[in-house]
Amino acid sequence: MDIGAGLKAIEASGLAGWIRDSLYAFPLIESFHVIGLTMTFGTIAILDLRMLGLASANRPFTRVAEVLKWTWAAFGLTVLTGGLMFITNASVYFSNRQFQWKMALIALSGLNMLIFERTCGRNVRRWDNDKTAPPSGKLAAILSLILWISVIFLGRWIGFTTTGNRTPDTEINLDDLFQ
Amino acid sequence: MNDFANWLAGTQLSLSIQTHLWVVPTIQSIHIVCIGIVLASVFMIDLRIFGWAGRDQSVLQISRRFCPWLWAALGVLLVTGVLMVIGEPVRELMSLSFWLKMSMLLIGIVIATLFQLSLRGNRKEDEFIGRWTTKSLAIVTLVVWCSIVVLGRLIAYDHVWGAWSLRPIV
Repeated sequence: MDIGAGLKAIEASGLAGWIRDSLYAFPLIESFHVIGLTMTFGTIAILDLRMLGLASANRPFTRVAEVLKWTWAAFGLTVLTGGLMFITNASVYFSNRQFQWKMALIALSGLNMLIFERTCGRNVRRWDNDKTAPPSGKLAAILSLILWISVIFLGRWIGFTTTGNRTPDTEINLDDLFQ
Repeated sequence: MNDFANWLAGTQLSLSIQTHLWVVPTIQSIHIVCIGIVLASVFMIDLRIFGWAGRDQSVLQISRRFCPWLWAALGVLLVTGVLMVIGEPVRELMSLSFWLKMSMLLIGIVIATLFQLSLRGNRKEDEFIGRWTTKSLAIVTLVVWCSIVVLGRLIAYDHVWGAWSLRPIV
């Protein structure tokens, strides 16, 4: 089965149809997507700022890193709600340039995290109480912040490039609406 | 409010926000980044109040760590929020979600201010966070901020309120 047919099959699924037809499902799923992604970004930022020595510098890194379990929970919520939005219009999202970039940058964030854990994070005991992480850790923190903020920008951009109903409200004739 | 929204939509600043396609998504993205800072800050303080995280620090220390970020992010949210209202006055001001969101925002700010003031006035911290009022307000405030996020997103979908929506059904 080629990808196009697979995407069409996903769109035709009962769940996707139910979300599309419901007046409330998509707006609420999108709202929880925002709660999930803001929590994900916010908690990651806490750790990145700690590595850069810009916040919580007096606490051991490993203490601050305890926040990551909440990051993963929030990320789980974001992926789940994101997946639910994706299936409603799979082929459009799949071929959307902003969506493709967003997925690529999320993958890069994951790679950035993996590389950090395999290198700098491996000898965390040596710098746990230092005000900042070693240079390679700082680089990972800066990359992480840039990548996740870019993911947020691209995500918001998807909403403006996949739906045609985003024309400015001012094009509506106000006199007709409010008489 | 119609007249005001109408007038605002015709101002020079509003027109320049409307005519540049990249402006609105960019402002919204900055808005979302700051919401992340607010939500995470509130969440961290709440976790400490319930003793689920950061127990190596006092509530006062946690509050000093996160409250400045909370207020700074709220400041940026105010600026970007006002710009969005100027850019799309009818979309924002003529939606029930927007006004519900503003009400919740007021509640959120009052609780945050009360929390900071009473924390500062309290010498016995364990007693302060042990109070049922502190604990319940900690839950209320998280619900309030999450509802602000939901209501903010619902501005784009005011039809969910049906007949209560301020936007006439087209």
